[in-house]
Amino acid sequence: MADRYRPQVIEHLVRPRHVGELSDPSGAGESGDAACGDVALFAVKIEDNVLTEVRYKVYGCAACIAAGSALAELVSGDHLLAAARVSKADLESSLGGPLPPGKEHALTLVLDALHKAFEDHLNRETGQMLLEGYGGAKTNGTKSVVAAMSGGVDSAVSALLLKEAGYEVATVTFRLHDGEKGSRSCCSPDTVLFARDTAHRMGLPHFTLNLKELFNRRVMQDFVGSYKEGRTPNPCVACNAHVKFHAAAFLADDLGFDYVATGHYARVAEGPTLARPVDEKKDQTYVLWPVPKELLERTIFPLGEYRKTEVRAIAEERGLAVAYTPESQDICFIPDGDYRRFVRNKVSAEPGDVVDPGGKVLGRHGGVVDFTVGQRRGLGVSAPTPLYVTEVRPQTNQVVVGRRRDLEVREVRVRGMNWFLDPGEARLVQVRYNSAPVPCEVERGDGEWVARFSEPVVGVAPGQSAVFYTGDRVVGGGVVARRGS
Amino acid sequence: MTHPVYLDNAATTPVDQRVLEAMLPHLGARRGNPSSLHSSGAVARQAVEDARESVASLLGASLEETSFTSGGTESDNLAVLGLARAASPEKRHAVVSRVEHAAVRESARYLVSEGFEVSWVGVDADGLVDPAEFADSLRPDTALAAVVWANNEVGTVEPMQELARLCAERNIPLHADAVQAAGRLSLDLEQVPVATLALSGHKLYGPQGVGALYVRKGVALKPVVFGGGQERGLRSGTENVAGIVGLGEAARLAVEEIEERLSHETSLRDRILAGVAELAEVRVNGHPKERLSNNVHLTVEGVEAEGLVLFLDALGYEIGSGSACASGGHKASPVLLAMGRSERQAFSAVRITVGKDNTVEEIEGFLEAFSTAVARLREVSPLYAS
Repeated sequence: MADRYRPQVIEHLVRPRHVGELSDPSGAGESGDAACGDVALFAVKIEDNVLTEVRYKVYGCAACIAAGSALAELVSGDHLLAAARVSKADLESSLGGPLPPGKEHALTLVLDALHKAFEDHLNRETGQMLLEGYGGAKTNGTKSVVAAMSGGVDSAVSALLLKEAGYEVATVTFRLHDGEKGSRSCCSPDTVLFARDTAHRMGLPHFTLNLKELFNRRVMQDFVGSYKEGRTPNPCVACNAHVKFHAAAFLADDLGFDYVATGHYARVAEGPTLARPVDEKKDQTYVLWPVPKELLERTIFPLGEYRKTEVRAIAEERGLAVAYTPESQDICFIPDGDYRRFVRNKVSAEPGDVVDPGGKVLGRHGGVVDFTVGQRRGLGVSAPTPLYVTEVRPQTNQVVVGRRRDLEVREVRVRGMNWFLDPGEARLVQVRYNSAPVPCEVERGDGEWVARFSEPVVGVAPGQSAVFYTGDRVVGGGVVARRGS
Repeated sequence: MTHPVYLDNAATTPVDQRVLEAMLPHLGARRGNPSSLHSSGAVARQAVEDARESVASLLGASLEETSFTSGGTESDNLAVLGLARAASPEKRHAVVSRVEHAAVRESARYLVSEGFEVSWVGVDADGLVDPAEFADSLRPDTALAAVVWANNEVGTVEPMQELARLCAERNIPLHADAVQAAGRLSLDLEQVPVATLALSGHKLYGPQGVGALYVRKGVALKPVVFGGGQERGLRSGTENVAGIVGLGEAARLAVEEIEERLSHETSLRDRILAGVAELAEVRVNGHPKERLSNNVHLTVEGVEAEGLVLFLDALGYEIGSGSACASGGHKASPVLLAMGRSERQAFSAVRITVGKDNTVEEIEGFLEAFSTAVARLREVSPLYAS
């Protein structure tokens, strides 16, 4: 009778607990879709992180109604952390055991509605803080950490290592944009659901925060605007500067936790400052430079001490499904990688001239947003030697092309600095992700810093980051300014 | 009143005590194969032929026109595939209604893999096939048509006489699935010139696993099961003697008691219809008049059928649901969709089918339980605003 419901399911169906709504909830969440046949609503009242009241409603099959009732009963009166840890397996055992085949979605449905109610509550708590900006750490001297979980292997292993090191861990997944695979379809796997499942399998509470507005404002608009202004953006840098670490810290403050952690490959060295990780190939210090010092002070990067191969091995050994997830995309909000089309859809582009360094017109282009400094393809101009974009001039709608040696620079001007150490300590500068750092001297200019190279450097683009190192430690970083501006 | 109260007679009917008694000897000491020459074989053969006479008399058919099968599904498959395969090679078209039982629908869909084109004829909001639209679908190359006589879900009774005449005029064989109709409607096959007709034992107080197929004299049909050539080569395999005897007895009782059953079922059905009419946003599906005497089919706004069926089950009342919820989305009833209902309305549909043994007291009890279950589940439902 594997396809029949257990008596516990029928009991919850006939006498459902905690049915209804709350007039003034701390948070409310909805999951499912009437068109798909299932809808679940949860409303919670949370006082001092305790669920004082829980109400639910479900339209759906008997399993969904019963699962909603069982979940409401399970978490009512719980601490938020305990409630956020309740897994599909916990719910299933409170229903007397596995549901009939094909009914497992009931567990996902009601858990998702409850978690969306938590998300609503947390967004109310942290939303204003996020807009106002980070105000500094509040620490209690406990080994407690909020670990960001993307659904990939790195962040999952990161959270697991912290747990095994004796930390109290709460995981969080950020909703950053609508481009997540499957996020619009009720019947397909969803990154957030996958991350939640992974956290629950590790016995960790999981939260979500909706940061779409912040991410759009601080990352996506900047991304599009950069192209319009002839700069080459780095969205990961923008996200680390304004979004990810701040949000994790706000959640930590809300839960009374001390630390935040991510699955980045980097280390925190004394200062505090960033230091290159053990796995040099995965080094992410280049995109982490804008993390504010007071946030870095409470940040843990567990993977700084590991190689990627070890991380995958740990995931496999602990039986985490994430062990087999592919490497993440370059730009998370452009899953197909076609960023020109993405930018083109957001801004208008006017045709203009392609000129040589002397100003002579060599051809026409379809819009400056299609070009970045160093680009070789799609110039539409034929020449005996390869041509490169050496400058983008949005004011005059011109794209300047030249030979490779025209890309060579002996210095860059850097703005928007975030120094961890004394600028005088800078010995090397890295101007592109995954490029070798080059020796330099740093000098303070007028509202900016100038890095002089001992040898000419190719491929420096305005908008990219310039990160200063001494040995394997980051001294600080900033954004490369436009030539002549 | 003893629980559970059974109100799912369209799914299967309980076996009549008299039917059971007629069958028992054939499950016990009697041992003959109807094809054997010896005396035991002759006893078995006689039992099968007596049963054939009863079934033929229910249909107003001759003995040669009546064959036994393993049930309604086999009869439907044999008719649809058998008619199609017996048609002349240039006839590669079939006309089938959109409200067929799966046994006919899936057989017709299978025909597509044999190179047939199928025209699916729609129905109106009450589930009725429009004879004019039906006639328009019939073509010179049409090998067969199939329409369910009385719908197994919503209970609508189709205008079979008219549809059968349209087919007969064009020399197109029409198959009628009469699994729900047999024993409830007068199946006058002289007035209604269908070519083939399927019925099932367990919908008329006979046993499960036995059915019959009527094949009008002169209609060509290819078998789908091959072997010893039983049932005039139409359905090979040793006869299910006990089952056939049960079906025969059930048919005999149906002929004898049809009027009494009809008036009893109709009064119970109408009591349910009157009772549910008092509930808000409960809609009756199917034709208001042209419907089976035992069928009530409802869409209960804001509540999904599965929960309602199981809730009532817990209260001791057994009814049917139309659609099932499963992972990867639900499967809404094609019948209700063909009638223009939304998927959500289809998921909220339940079927209550009374039988000759139900009592007024049971129906009163059911109505009370039904109203309780609907109210409780609507309290839980976010899609129902009271």
